[in-house]
Amino acid sequence: MADLSAALPFKYTGMQEEDRTMAKYVAKRIGLAFMTAFIILSLTFILVKLLPFERPIGGDAQQIAYFDKQYNLGYVYRFEFERPEYGGYLYKTPTDHGRANYYYQVPVMTQYVNWLKNIVTKWDWGYSKTFQPNVAASVIIGSRIGYSIRLNILSVIFSVPIGILLGIWAALKKNTMTDHTISTMVMIFISIPSFVLISFVLRIFCYNLGWLPSSWPTDSAATAVKIQGYIIPVFCLSFSSICGYCRFTRAELCEVMESDYLLLARTKGLTRSQAIVRHAMKNAMVPIFPSILAEFIGILGGSMILEQLYGIPGIGKLFVLSLNYKDYDILFVDMAIFTTLGLLAGILLDLSYGFIDPRIRMGAKK
Amino acid sequence: MADTNKNIVFREDDFVLIQKDKRVTDKKLDTKPTTFFKDALRRFRKNKASVAGSIILGILVVLTILVPMLSPCNITTVSTPEAFLAPKLFEAGTGFWDGTRKSTRIVYDVDNEIPALSDKYSTAAIKAALVKIAVDEEPTRVDAANPYGQGGVVVLATDAAIENKNLVMASKAVDFDTNGEYRLDVVFSDEEGVSGSELGEYAVYLKSGDDVVMLRDFSRDYSALSVNISEALEKAGLSSLHGQVVFEVKSAASNFQYILVESVVLSAKETAANVEELAEVSITDATDFVNISDTSLLSYWSCTGRKGIHDSLIYYCDFTIDTYALVYDDADVLTYSATDLNNWIAAGYCTYDYKVGPESFVKLTDDCPIDVVESQTVMGITKKLSSITARGYGYRKLGYDKPPKFLFGTDASGFDLFKRAFAGLRTSLILGVCTAAFCFTFGLIWGSISGYFGGNIDIWMERFCEILGGVPWIVVMTLCILHLGNNFFTFVLALCLTGWISTAHRTRTQFYRFKGREYVLASRTLGSSDLRLIFKHILPNSMGTIITSSVLMITNGIYSEATLAYLNLGLQGLQSFGVMMSTNQSYLGVYPNLVIFPAVVMALMMISFNLFGNGLRDAFNPALKGTE
Repeated sequence: MADLSAALPFKYTGMQEEDRTMAKYVAKRIGLAFMTAFIILSLTFILVKLLPFERPIGGDAQQIAYFDKQYNLGYVYRFEFERPEYGGYLYKTPTDHGRANYYYQVPVMTQYVNWLKNIVTKWDWGYSKTFQPNVAASVIIGSRIGYSIRLNILSVIFSVPIGILLGIWAALKKNTMTDHTISTMVMIFISIPSFVLISFVLRIFCYNLGWLPSSWPTDSAATAVKIQGYIIPVFCLSFSSICGYCRFTRAELCEVMESDYLLLARTKGLTRSQAIVRHAMKNAMVPIFPSILAEFIGILGGSMILEQLYGIPGIGKLFVLSLNYKDYDILFVDMAIFTTLGLLAGILLDLSYGFIDPRIRMGAKK
Repeated sequence: MADTNKNIVFREDDFVLIQKDKRVTDKKLDTKPTTFFKDALRRFRKNKASVAGSIILGILVVLTILVPMLSPCNITTVSTPEAFLAPKLFEAGTGFWDGTRKSTRIVYDVDNEIPALSDKYSTAAIKAALVKIAVDEEPTRVDAANPYGQGGVVVLATDAAIENKNLVMASKAVDFDTNGEYRLDVVFSDEEGVSGSELGEYAVYLKSGDDVVMLRDFSRDYSALSVNISEALEKAGLSSLHGQVVFEVKSAASNFQYILVESVVLSAKETAANVEELAEVSITDATDFVNISDTSLLSYWSCTGRKGIHDSLIYYCDFTIDTYALVYDDADVLTYSATDLNNWIAAGYCTYDYKVGPESFVKLTDDCPIDVVESQTVMGITKKLSSITARGYGYRKLGYDKPPKFLFGTDASGFDLFKRAFAGLRTSLILGVCTAAFCFTFGLIWGSISGYFGGNIDIWMERFCEILGGVPWIVVMTLCILHLGNNFFTFVLALCLTGWISTAHRTRTQFYRFKGREYVLASRTLGSSDLRLIFKHILPNSMGTIITSSVLMITNGIYSEATLAYLNLGLQGLQSFGVMMSTNQSYLGVYPNLVIFPAVVMALMMISFNLFGNGLRDAFNPALKGTE
């Protein structure tokens, strides 16, 4: 569950300008996010490149292919003679005619400049070293991100209606047994760490009852098994979201229900249900809707443990795999995705407040 | 002051009590004055759930401190015999939490009438520890060789797609002659196999060097073969033959060729010299035959090709076993050297006189590893004691004075899960508290400056927070661990790097809320410095909300540590809850207690932390004052 309060719109209260239009604000916000992303990715790149160099795996042909690619991208030097002034060579190509090529690591800041050049001109994010040697990072990510996105879409489809309905139910029955039961369950389940929940679900539905596969079905599995394979991940992913939406909706609706305009609506003759549907719900949805958008994107990062425990070949699992393989180039690209997604979620959350409710003018003076 | 010298004289008459004769109806305030914190505490106490949460939390925290300190259980030295003990709270036999474990569909060892467990335990120990056993009435047919299987038919198959590579299964050479009434009875089966295989052509013959006596020529005749070898030898013009019984299956290019052999019985009249040898060579139980590998000394047959089993009968059983009895009550009779015994006598554990014999053994203390001496051996010439055989209980051998109890059971290394869980939680808790303390302090200072001064300072400080806060914590943790190594301080550092931002953010908001208030203005008018305004006036008022957020930050530390372990970056070198959980995760199917018990403790801790934190938040929230 993303920390929704962190993105609430009181960040810009200190700004001095009197009037600022929405468009200006949006442009500034997006520009800022780009800057932030740029700085973070640059720092991450440099930090990753500062790690000790790990040798690629495989035979000579594979290693030469790897180093030549690195040379083309500008991350290593290639010389026909040994050049001790560049430190120890990373690799020496054995060739037929008694000559050899020597590869040396380029200074990190030069690598950084070359990396920027590669991204801007060729959209080249580098190659895998040990995990899937010599496969482009974009290809590896592309082959895996589908699983993660599919799971997240499914879990949002499930969790949004259930969570909001539960929240509405609890709010309408405020301070009754129903409300207390729902709120207690939500409180308990939101506190339970995801790995604990996954363990319990696996134990009950896979081992005790044997209804569902205990790990992600392979691509060759039958369609029925594949569909069954989605149940546990989607359930586990939706669970905390359902709790989050439920709590959020209940809080918002309760607040709106006590407002003066709802009292006015009742006094002018609307029935309770009319007042709730036409006035309360509309206003309560204001903060809920953006949180759905943010959740949708933010949850991509939250499925890392699930992917690891259930063996789902998504980008969360890739994070662990590339760490285990010490394939830092892939690790970096994966980190970049998580960072960008997080920032994107933040912007969407901020912006959608303003679009949905004209009362909220982001960045306006306090 | 100019008027200090002026002499003013007051007399008592100047003063008049203005309310002297009036009735005063005002009452003195009986209630005591309250402060913000006192009021918050009162409201916190009213919230039953939060009080319950904080009590549970208190108990858990006390346990995390006391258990690792006081529990004598072992969590450092691997002790494999004690691995995977079931959780035990009550005495055995109560049926619940009593150290017994239920297992289902385990192969049944028909000969010993016990479940076929690993050979770690003796038959007697398993028998003694069995609480309940239910064996399937009907055997299950399996197509795999199992040491506890029975019956079935031998499958002899050639490789597919290889022509001219016949399967040859030959017995060891046996003596046959014409007057011993030697017989060979073979029963075949003609069951159709899976697709890609077919019943093949085969032959049965006797072979000795170049001499071949054909008993059944190549054919697809799967009826029982019953031949009198003596007559066959006579027909072939041989008086005796030292030869092998050979089964040959013709290979085919298209698919697997196989035959199914139920039994091969060689027999002779009772007076023949090698009746026993014939019985040894005979195949009466197909499973037993397949279980013995061709290279084994027990094997009387050799086979070139695939030899398998079909329809081997296995009994499965469901049983409940007392895991503690299995490990600790196992009273094996072991041999101890005289040196051992002398050491024990010297240490005052027992007394023994070898001249009298085993009856003279007297156990003096509980430290003595043996209970009863069964027999002794003495050296031939010197008549000195060389060794004794004695019975000692398992728990003594493992260094306990009495059979131990493990509340949560033990894990794969034989560690006490209860102590391990709490030792791990202690590390997590210390991590969480350290992080929260730092983040609280730093965030408070940062947020105060940013919120109080506002303007450009605020904008730049906010930008900085935004960039730092944009990095996912998992990325920060990973990079820190990769660069600085995996240890406690790296964890604290990595969690602190981004953890303070939320506190700073919250503090800043509070400062914006309070800095325009009248009391701040009043103090400023009186000439207070910025520091005084921040620390004496604004901060105390916003403290409640900020403290609450830092309580919830502790759970963050615990959660992060555990999460990282699942991503194989777990804390090394210290007892770690996450590492324990992620290691035990692989046993979830077989030994669920290894995951479920720590998970329950963890969940309980998180829930009570949240209850406590939420209660604090509500109590300190001025907006909720008086609403209940």
